[in-house]
Amino acid sequence: MKKHWWKALGVVIVLYSFFMGLLTPLKTGILEANPASVRTGQEVMLEVKGYNSFYTQAQNELRAWLKMDSERALAARRVEVVDDRLVKLTFDIPAFLPVDKKVQDFTLILDSPADGASVLPSGVFVTQDSINAALGETAWPNADIANLHEKAAITFPFRNILGETIRNTYYHVPLWFAMFILFISAVVYSVKHLRNFDQRYDEQAAALTSVGILYGILGLVTGAIWAKHTWGAYWSFDVKQNMTAVGLLIYGAYFVLRASFEDPEKKARISAVYNIFAFATLIPLLYVIPKLTDSLHPGAGGNIAFGSQDLDNTMRMVFYPAIIGWTLMGVWMAQLIFRMNRLKHRLLEE
Amino acid sequence: MNLFKEIIFLLRKEFKLEWRQKYALSGILLYVLSTVFIIYISFQRVSPQLWNVLFWIIMLFASINAVVKSFVQESGHRQLYYYQLANPIAILLSKMLYNASLLLLLSVLTFSALSFIAGNPVEEAGQFSLALLLGSLGFSITFTFVSAIAAKADNSSTLMAILSFPVVIPILLLLVNLSAHSIGLLQSTMIGRDIMLLASVDLILVALGLVLFPYLWRD
Repeated sequence: MKKHWWKALGVVIVLYSFFMGLLTPLKTGILEANPASVRTGQEVMLEVKGYNSFYTQAQNELRAWLKMDSERALAARRVEVVDDRLVKLTFDIPAFLPVDKKVQDFTLILDSPADGASVLPSGVFVTQDSINAALGETAWPNADIANLHEKAAITFPFRNILGETIRNTYYHVPLWFAMFILFISAVVYSVKHLRNFDQRYDEQAAALTSVGILYGILGLVTGAIWAKHTWGAYWSFDVKQNMTAVGLLIYGAYFVLRASFEDPEKKARISAVYNIFAFATLIPLLYVIPKLTDSLHPGAGGNIAFGSQDLDNTMRMVFYPAIIGWTLMGVWMAQLIFRMNRLKHRLLEE
Repeated sequence: MNLFKEIIFLLRKEFKLEWRQKYALSGILLYVLSTVFIIYISFQRVSPQLWNVLFWIIMLFASINAVVKSFVQESGHRQLYYYQLANPIAILLSKMLYNASLLLLLSVLTFSALSFIAGNPVEEAGQFSLALLLGSLGFSITFTFVSAIAAKADNSSTLMAILSFPVVIPILLLLVNLSAHSIGLLQSTMIGRDIMLLASVDLILVALGLVLFPYLWRD
């Protein structure tokens, strides 16, 4: 147990990420507001569909705003709860808006003591019949958004396009991180092999690389499923998807190269050389080129970088352990492959 | 200084060898011309976007054919003889330099053939020539090194394609970007960064090749 504690730790952490990641509920969110497009100078009745919401529990204390920017917001005149998932809001849209634009987007904010605050960014678009910013400024009935409630439970954030698929953050992304850690350690072993030509180092590198490829394929598959739900297609010609396919080709070639040598010493030496050379080309492939071109992934082409707004503290509690857990599991799997190969060689030699 | 002299001497050897067996060079020239002609027959009208992609694809296949022989063609015994006579690093560098000049010639030829048949869409000639230069260097470095790896195996010509295509894709993408900019298909303010990036990828690969080659040639 003293020697093998890290294997158990890896399994426990991955199981923890499964349970926490799949069972923790999402925060209350707003699915849609209907109609999403209104005109100025009208009384508007918005039908708002909630997600994971309990509007009936907060009957009289439910409040709603249409927020224009950090200083200006409209409060709902009347809030009528239909059931747990549906609420009807009545707003008086003034005749003029304090902006020079024809169409202005508003963020819908709902606050309930039972669910906490929920937000629908750019949920309602208001079209102005005629533009008069100065008049809009003076006639603006401003309402302060204050005393928002917070739900006292462990929840994951609700994001409109992601919905429940936000949980894939704990599988898709950590698999990528773990894959990279495995590939880097394989390169370290290849370098070690070239320093003293120990057969075992090269076999370690090959075992780590094969688990890395497995993780790469899993990352690609989980990513494709996620892409189907959020971007609309399994393969969206996204630069990161393409680059990853190429990266897997590079490592596939590594195994073709290994298979084409009879002499084990020559095989070890030359595949170690190729492994180091290929890894050097993989870095621009996965980290530089995606940053230059437009990508649907976060952190590229003007999208927000990963970790700035996408992760909140409850997500971090699952996300970072999941990276460690998958890495430990991967190292364990690589150890098993390595030992199996050693035994195979020993059997063949006898 | 000794290394420099050796490189010059080996380069002269490579050029002389090429000149004596003209069939290799003329074969590749004919390859380029016939590919360009096939493209002309199949497309007839080539838009600048297509021109850009086709140019680099022709270059990719022509250069892999041109470079594959650098290590694969020479027999193991003769290579061992070279390594006894000269510094292995000098041999690798001379082959890279020789291949780079060959590919530069090849790219100029491809460019003139393609622009003769399908028109010349290049707007910024300086930038395009820079792309040609960096591309020849990058292709030559990658393919020469991969051919040194592939020469060690038995089925080397298949292995050459399998090993080198995925490895060269980052360079190829940067090149297509750069030449698209010189054709006027892309409006990018950060073209200097792209050039720097391409040059640094070339530099990293040549440095890595120099570090790793001593482990490669010994048998």
